[in-house]
Amino acid sequence: MSPNPLTRREFARRSLATALGVSCYGSLPFLAAAAEQAKTKSCILLWMAGGPTQTDTFDLKVGHANGGPSKSIATAVEGIQISEHLPGVARQMKDLAIIRSLTTQEGDHERATRLMLTGHRPGQEGINYPSLGSLLSKELGDESSDLPSYVCVSPFSVGNADGPGFLGPNYAPLVVSGASNDPEARANLSVENLSPPPGVSRESMQRRSAISQFLQNDFATRANSSSTRAHKANFDRAMRMVATNAKGAFRLDEEPAAIRDKYGRSRFGQGCLLARRLVERGAAFVEVALEGWDTHSDNFNAVQRLCGTLDPGWSTLMDDLRERGLLQSTLIVWMGEFGRTPKINGTTGRDHFPLAWSAVLGGGGIKGGQAIGSTGPAGTEVADRPVKIADFYATLCAGIGVNPETENISPEGRPIPLVDRGGKVIQELATPPARKQS
Amino acid sequence: MFRNASCLSLAIILVQVSISGAQSSPDAPLRMSSESLARWIDERFAAAWQESKTLPATDIDDATFLRRAYLDLTGSIPSVSEARDFLAISSGHRRALLIDRLLNDRRRPEKHADRTAAYLATVWRRMMIPGNTPEARTAVLLEPWLAQQFVDNVPYDEVARKLVTARSEAPVMMNIPNRAVPMGSAGPAFFYQAIGGKPEAAASSVSRIFLGVRIGCAECHDHPFAAWKQKDFWGMAAFFSGIRNGVAGDSEASIRPENSTVSYSATYLGGTPAKFEKGKTPREALADWMVDDSNSLFAATAVNRVWKHLIGRGLTDSVDDLDKASAEERRILDELAVLFVKSGYDLRWLIAGICKSQLYQRECVLVEQAAGDPGPGQRPVKTLSPEQIFNSLEQALSLPIARADGGARFNGLRDQLIMRLSEAATNNPDEFRAGIPQALLLMNGKLTADATNLDQSRTLRGVVESPFLDTTLKLETLYLATFSRPPRPDEKEFLLEHIHKQTGEMQKQAFAEIFWGLLNSPEFVLQK
Repeated sequence: MSPNPLTRREFARRSLATALGVSCYGSLPFLAAAAEQAKTKSCILLWMAGGPTQTDTFDLKVGHANGGPSKSIATAVEGIQISEHLPGVARQMKDLAIIRSLTTQEGDHERATRLMLTGHRPGQEGINYPSLGSLLSKELGDESSDLPSYVCVSPFSVGNADGPGFLGPNYAPLVVSGASNDPEARANLSVENLSPPPGVSRESMQRRSAISQFLQNDFATRANSSSTRAHKANFDRAMRMVATNAKGAFRLDEEPAAIRDKYGRSRFGQGCLLARRLVERGAAFVEVALEGWDTHSDNFNAVQRLCGTLDPGWSTLMDDLRERGLLQSTLIVWMGEFGRTPKINGTTGRDHFPLAWSAVLGGGGIKGGQAIGSTGPAGTEVADRPVKIADFYATLCAGIGVNPETENISPEGRPIPLVDRGGKVIQELATPPARKQS
Repeated sequence: MFRNASCLSLAIILVQVSISGAQSSPDAPLRMSSESLARWIDERFAAAWQESKTLPATDIDDATFLRRAYLDLTGSIPSVSEARDFLAISSGHRRALLIDRLLNDRRRPEKHADRTAAYLATVWRRMMIPGNTPEARTAVLLEPWLAQQFVDNVPYDEVARKLVTARSEAPVMMNIPNRAVPMGSAGPAFFYQAIGGKPEAAASSVSRIFLGVRIGCAECHDHPFAAWKQKDFWGMAAFFSGIRNGVAGDSEASIRPENSTVSYSATYLGGTPAKFEKGKTPREALADWMVDDSNSLFAATAVNRVWKHLIGRGLTDSVDDLDKASAEERRILDELAVLFVKSGYDLRWLIAGICKSQLYQRECVLVEQAAGDPGPGQRPVKTLSPEQIFNSLEQALSLPIARADGGARFNGLRDQLIMRLSEAATNNPDEFRAGIPQALLLMNGKLTADATNLDQSRTLRGVVESPFLDTTLKLETLYLATFSRPPRPDEKEFLLEHIHKQTGEMQKQAFAEIFWGLLNSPEFVLQK
């Protein structure tokens, strides 16, 4: 139940929308089924900041000049080969699906990031589009939980692309080691401002809390409005998070050292471990970022290093989720803002390339063990099955059991669907939701 | 004694006359003073409420008025000494005098009128270019120019005209940084760059901002909820065909949408095709039409926006959908708009009139008392904007302030806080939208941590270590610093008990804990 009851304005807007046949929530049978399962579903986004090369990871061109020195290995699925630097991921292939024919048009880091994270090109009609994390955590999350539904383990935010846009701050991510200048916070993946400042004892926090409660109750008796109630609900939730330390999710030291080693003692590796702990405790969407993929020079060494961090984190995460019976209810998304040029440049690097690149979906309701689309021997263009951003988003939504036609109302009163109309679910990978009854 | 009293009242009358006289130019015809406007508002609403059998709320006390006026006009709570001074005056006219001072007084050191103008500039900027995208944040550069218009009390129709017809030769180059707020200032033409630099964006924005009408949906299809069609939208966009790539130029008054074979020529909203006199650019012609006295949407929208800023909600249900309001709903608004036009579009007069009315000085209407949201003229509990929160924190904590001449105040701490709080900003003051990150920021963030740390905090040290204040007065000072009022008996009882439970150094801690409680209480971020 939202802490902000519908205002008269919003109610009127929604009624009008419904009266004119513009459905806010999709078809009823689907909704019923989805509601059953929606509570337990989660999504983990592995965000490869900088634009990861597809030619050296999931769409190798061994034997072609564009392939460079990259070598491929067999995976658990016959006929699918990926980079030799991703052996752990190769073992997971039965639960992963590679899309090799993704084609978008943004080659600028910030614009492309906003495109990939919101599903829309930036600046369109001045709408502040919400990020995937905000959209999905709104559909899947539990607002009353002591844990935020949307967590972002990321060193920085490009253009606020992972922000909530017009959905408002109730759907903003809790950023872990985001803007903090405190090196301690970064190393231990702690939440910005979750812990009381140093020097404030537990007893002091309790006394502060008591004073706070008194002042809040006092104010509520004199000015009990919807704003007052919303403030209290939000404040209380934050206090609960502080008191339970977010249900201990961030206590990575509770895990055996062997497990922490398996994930890899990097921020990304430990971030994947944190993602598993958050999903176990009911978080709906966790983003874990690995930066450094903008390999304009010395591509091959850089990619080998990055894969050395990526592989153990990602594959251990999937092993752990599977072991705990969580893989079927957790969608995994691997992507960056664009791919890289198949043609190698003068500094042994690859440059930005959005015309034909790769992303990977897995877990959840995604039928793994497949590779969709191809880019031809040179990799310079989509040869088969072009997949646009709307198709990708539609497939992703279907994979997590969310109806892509679900709409949110923008502040201007406009209904904005999760996915642009015209986005088609890739049938081989996920079942599209039941057709809307009109 | 009698002579002294009559001299005093004469002096008061003269002062009042000179203050309201300062609002009209020497050769303008004698027109309504702001006090008369205030009386007109009260009489008008008294009649309306009698008809609807609405019971008006009770009057607010002085402390509530003080905080309300300071926050609404200057965007900050008053200082402890300003609060003490105001609450100590016994003149019956102190409220009206305060409004006049906040609006007109440019004398150092407070420079109230300048702070008011700067805050109004922020409010208008947020209204004109809402949202929190990196592009929207660049709109901060418009604030110095806007503030100058308000300081000079440029008539509103002229401000609108300047904005609509502003020209630029080249876009303002800047790196749109991810997190920081840009520094400096840009002229009115920057408006076009900040909204996206395209004719479609200009048509949408200008119609919404100045006419209170949303035609944006009609860009691609005929609007489902209103009468606007694609030809209406593109007819307006045609005026702005010279806006391209961040340059605000002028070109011929017709436009062909991308992927379309149809060309639209400039048509005023409502269907009249534009005819251009020699030498007038399309945008100049649009400005003439827009600010014409007969254009009822223009003045009404202006009044609606000012009303919404001061009271918390507009006179009609939605200020951006004036075309959807019924004639009944618009009755009072339209009457007030006529007065506004007659005043020569004098914003300062309008603001003064509203703030001096009895209506402005009534308690907030809480949801339980009324059926549904507060009605027009009734005040909801308002949420402070990010700038109000920062400015109030700055005031309450006596933070060192960095000022850059002519531009937005540059202060890393300010920007960080405003960035985070802006994620929760809303254009409807009666909504509260903050989330966990905002709550955590105010609870455990560096600013609060320093403020409640005895070694770091000027305010706290000043209070706690003062030899002149006893415990009760110390508590009162903390209250005045944050809530602009003294504590009530039940608050004193509870908190003094808390303080006396500790001794020595720990007692200083107790004050720090109370200060923390005050800063994190709803009373600090909400406005009654």
